[in-house]
Amino acid sequence: MTAHRGLFLTLLTLASPALLLGCGGDRSNSNPNAAAGTLVIRANGEDFVRQGFTSKDGWAISFDHVYVSLADLVAAQTEPPFQAETQDRWQATTEVTVAGPTVVDLASGDTSAEPVVVAEVEAPAGQFNALAWAMPPAASGPSQGTVLWLQGTASKAGATLPFTLRLSEPLAFTCGDFIGDQRKGILAPGGVADLEATFHFDHLFGDGGVPPEEEINTGALGFAPLAALAQDGVLNLTSADLESRLSAADHQRWLGLLPSLGHVGEGHCREVQLTQ
Amino acid sequence: MRRILSLLAAIAATLITPRPGWSHGVQLEYQLVNQVQIQARYDSGTPMAQAQVLVYAPGAASSPWSRGTTDAQGRFSFSPDANQPGYWQVMVRQAGHGQSVTVPVGKVTAAPGAKPPTAGLGQRWLPIAAVIWGFVGTALFFSRRSQPRHADSRGPDSRGKP
Repeated sequence: MTAHRGLFLTLLTLASPALLLGCGGDRSNSNPNAAAGTLVIRANGEDFVRQGFTSKDGWAISFDHVYVSLADLVAAQTEPPFQAETQDRWQATTEVTVAGPTVVDLASGDTSAEPVVVAEVEAPAGQFNALAWAMPPAASGPSQGTVLWLQGTASKAGATLPFTLRLSEPLAFTCGDFIGDQRKGILAPGGVADLEATFHFDHLFGDGGVPPEEEINTGALGFAPLAALAQDGVLNLTSADLESRLSAADHQRWLGLLPSLGHVGEGHCREVQLTQ
Repeated sequence: MRRILSLLAAIAATLITPRPGWSHGVQLEYQLVNQVQIQARYDSGTPMAQAQVLVYAPGAASSPWSRGTTDAQGRFSFSPDANQPGYWQVMVRQAGHGQSVTVPVGKVTAAPGAKPPTAGLGQRWLPIAAVIWGFVGTALFFSRRSQPRHADSRGPDSRGKP
């Protein structure tokens, strides 16, 4: 019995590092031959959030907080390269999962702030050309119970309207390669690479900086339909409020726009939760 | 029959023999090439005219193998290097939106260990996001074997610029 107990303790000691790693928050399902580097996953509301913008209907919008609930972040090296618009599933040679839901504020920092870091994980070297994430209602924190919390001020023609929009529709996105001025996700051994979950809020409100006939504006709801729901100079709405107080057509348009929020840079994603 | 053959030979010799006196002579040659043609358009059907195009060869994701611009009809063509089989990636960007298309060149097979996603991803495609802002990129790869040659819509000099 003593011998068995000693053997058990020896095995437990040897296995402890593996057990500890297995209990960590990050999980890598990967090619064991690849050297590792650091993968930094960021969330980006772009300059629309950091610097504010003018909606298609002339409301100047600035944000104090844009809380985004994130969970089930998965970065992958896919072969062939995953294309969200034409493929249902990716074929991954390596996946890195960042476990644990979190909430980030896309409006944090100044107008030139770097995109918010969501997680840093050790990952096998290679090209991470796919990213997926879910957006469940936040379990805790300042935006508890919401998927997306937009708080700021809108101004037009001398009127100033503080607003808070608390959205609770769960979303989930699966995306291919980042598309932008520079490529992302190319991780060298011992190096650092970024991946980015990008959110295009001009899809909701339009962009007064481009002509009205541009598709970004013909498709967007704008801010005026929301501003019309203000009470006592304040706009404070939940998803339930939007459903009950927007016109049916505007509410349907709003719901139709939410799945277009998620991008990887300029690259489109596939929304797989609300649209089911 | 001999007369006919002699006549044909004489005509051929006349055509082939250089004419030093023709200072503005033109030589035309042709080659059959493997060519990928990209057609990029918004979902409204509007061509993505003058959009930026970046072509990445397999295993060389850091810098484009070729770059160029779509023509007025949203088209772009290039001839991939037949000596670099695999998945070629073409990115098209314009006005803050972009998309990529993957073009298999030569024999390509699924990578060892490739597996589907773990998080219940991508059950079905709802086109709403792409309907408004997306565009369709299609690639046609003409697989006739021939001498490789670079000839995209901007001419050979666009290949390989960083």
